[in-house]
Order: sequence, then C-alpha cells, then structure tokens
Amino acid sequence: MTEKARHIAEYAVLAIASTILLAAFYYLRFEKNALMVLFGISSGFYAIWGIIHHALESRLTKSIFFEYILFGFLIFLLLFFALNI
Amino acid sequence: MALLSKTKEQNPSIVKYWRKNPKSIDKFQFIYHFLPHPEHKRRATLLSNKALVIYCLVIMLTIGSLRFFPKFAPGVLGYASSINMKDLLVDSNKMRTDRGLSALRVNAKLTEAAQEKAANMFKDQYWAHVSPSGSEPWDFILKQNYDYTYAGENLAKNFSTSQDVVTAWYNSPSHRENLLSPNYDEVGFAVVNGVLDGYETTLVVQMFGRPRDPHQVATVEEEDNVLSKAAISTGEATQPEGAPAPVVNIKQPAVLPAIDVATATRYVTLSFAGFLTLLLFLDIWYTRKKGIAKLNGHTIAHITIFIMVILSIWIVLRPGLII
Repeated sequence: MTEKARHIAEYAVLAIASTILLAAFYYLRFEKNALMVLFGISSGFYAIWGIIHHALESRLTKSIFFEYILFGFLIFLLLFFALNI
Repeated sequence: MALLSKTKEQNPSIVKYWRKNPKSIDKFQFIYHFLPHPEHKRRATLLSNKALVIYCLVIMLTIGSLRFFPKFAPGVLGYASSINMKDLLVDSNKMRTDRGLSALRVNAKLTEAAQEKAANMFKDQYWAHVSPSGSEPWDFILKQNYDYTYAGENLAKNFSTSQDVVTAWYNSPSHRENLLSPNYDEVGFAVVNGVLDGYETTLVVQMFGRPRDPHQVATVEEEDNVLSKAAISTGEATQPEGAPAPVVNIKQPAVLPAIDVATATRYVTLSFAGFLTLLLFLDIWYTRKKGIAKLNGHTIAHITIFIMVILSIWIVLRPGLII
C-alpha cells in the first residue's frame, strides 16, 4: 500500500467512525447514560486513532501524543457540557 | 519572518531598527495567537497544547460551578419549558392510536395523584419513583381512592416541549411499555414548575391506571372538566429557603428562568467549538500559504472530529431526563 493510499484509508476510518458515532448519538439521544459512554468512546477513539496514525507514519512525538490526548479530552468535555445533566 | 519580509524590500533600515529593538515588534506577535508561526514552526498559540489544557480546565471549572452555583442562588439557573397537559395527552394518545390501541381518558383522581407526587418531589427534593420516605407511586394513587387493577408511572424533567417528553418516553423500552400498554384505560398528568436541586425546572408526572370497575372509566365530560382547569393551586409544596414556591399548572405552564441552562450551554459550546474549528481552518490556509513545515497532529483530523461535535450539539443533544 502506498503512503497516499494508507493516508486515505486512515482518514476513511476516521470519517466512517465519526458518522457512525453521530448516528449512535441520534439513536440514543434520550438515553443519557448511554450517551455518556458514547462520549467516552468517541474521545478515546479519536486519541487512539491520532496516535496510531502518527506512529505508523513514524512521526509520533511526545507533543503530538499529548495533542491527541488533549483534543480527545476536550471533545469529551464539550459534549458532556452540552448534554447538561 | 513573514511580517518583516515585505517591509525589508521596502525599507531595509526599518528591519535593522527592529533587529536592534526587538521589543518594538512585540505588538505584531499578537497575530500568532491565531495563526501558525512561520519561524517557530508551531501552531497558533490558541491551538497549542498549553491552550488546550487551559480550555479543559476552564470547562471543568464551569461544569463544577454549574453544580454548586444553584445551591447558593436557587432558581436563577433553570430549564425554560412550555410543556402542557393537553399536548402530553394528545401526543401520548397519538402514539397509542397509531398502533391500534385505545386512547386513554384523563382521570381526575389520577391527575390529582400525579400532582401530589410532583409536589412531594419538590417538597422533599428528590426525583425518583420511590420517595426518600419510601412512598411508592401506588401510595399516591390509592390516597385518591382510585381502585385499580393495573397502574404505572412515567417521570420526566428538564424538557422544553411536550413532544420531546412523549418522544423520550417512546424511545425508552420501559417507558414505552407503559405508554403503549393495552392494560391501561386512563391517565393523569402533572406538569409542575418549581426548583429542584437549585434549578428552576418543570417536572412531568404521568400516571396510568385501569379501574377495577370498568364502569368507572372517566367520561368525556369528566375529561373535559379536568383539561379545562387552569392554574389550580399555588405553593402547595414547601420549598427550600430562598427558592420560589412551585406553581402547579394544568393549562399553560411556562418556566422562564433568569438563565436558561440548556440554551446557555448549547450556545457557549457551539461558539467555542466553532471558534476552534475556525482557528484550525486558518491553520491550514496560512500553513499552505507560507509553506510552513511544522511537526504536529493532523489539522484536517481535528476539524473532522470538531465538525462531528458541532453537529452533535446542534442537531442531536437536547436537555431532558426520564425515569
């Protein structure tokens, strides 16, 4: 697999997962506990996706590692704050 | 440096002056809070890891303060709502009749039991099927001398519309079981405004029943009589000190707190997520324009996940809890 094809495949995984998570949010929008679990899965998935993506590119630094952890945590907090329970 | 390059061609002496007096160009550095730095090869300061840590801390502090603030100023924060009993009945019965079930009749005793339950929840500051003193839904129903063979209860709070309440019940298997049960002939509702845990809100109680004597099912006249009542009582429940008394409305209740938490948190999160997404787009544009080679996470990935967050907050997430 070429570098470009791998890049596209990894972004496709992110886009598909985001769409599935959005659909799951909608389906479980009245189940607040389930939504909380989904928020955790979303942020964890994103952090892991970013770290693996950069590790495969051999570009994973400490700063990039924390960047994905922080972005993942930030989206969890934003969703939790918006859910307002 | 990007900002200097154009000036250097125009007037090299200014560049010499700036090199000797670096503080004189400090004010131009402000732009790099929003744009990536071409020399440092870093993201905008507002997208740095340090900034992300600060954002997380601020959000956590805000969430914490929303938990504690209502204890000191009860009734200031709340959930605006325009729920009313008639819409709850129409929406509930539509769910039933669409599935070939009989429509429920509003019973005055079940309505009174529901209102007592709601008033009791505000008085004792709880939100559950069983009160802290052990009272169950059936106790409220039996207190009204409603002799039943089947009975049930659905509860909701913090919703803004009647339709959202009924849709939430329909989407929960245990509540749907009550809503669409063929064992019930009658229903009673309470839509009660008050302060619970410091938040001004609307509690919705729906009580179902089938009278032991089938001839006891409410007539159309009895139902109309219950539905036509409005604002029947005020201040029946004892509120915590400083909190407004609950208002039990049947016809047209509306809660308008000083700050609607649902709207406020929604707009704050949308604005903040939108701002960060804008900064990420600026990062892509400026990085490509200046050919900045920086080593950091993928901006497009961050944008993708932020768009997912914005869509979730904008379209999907709504306030409201059911039990």
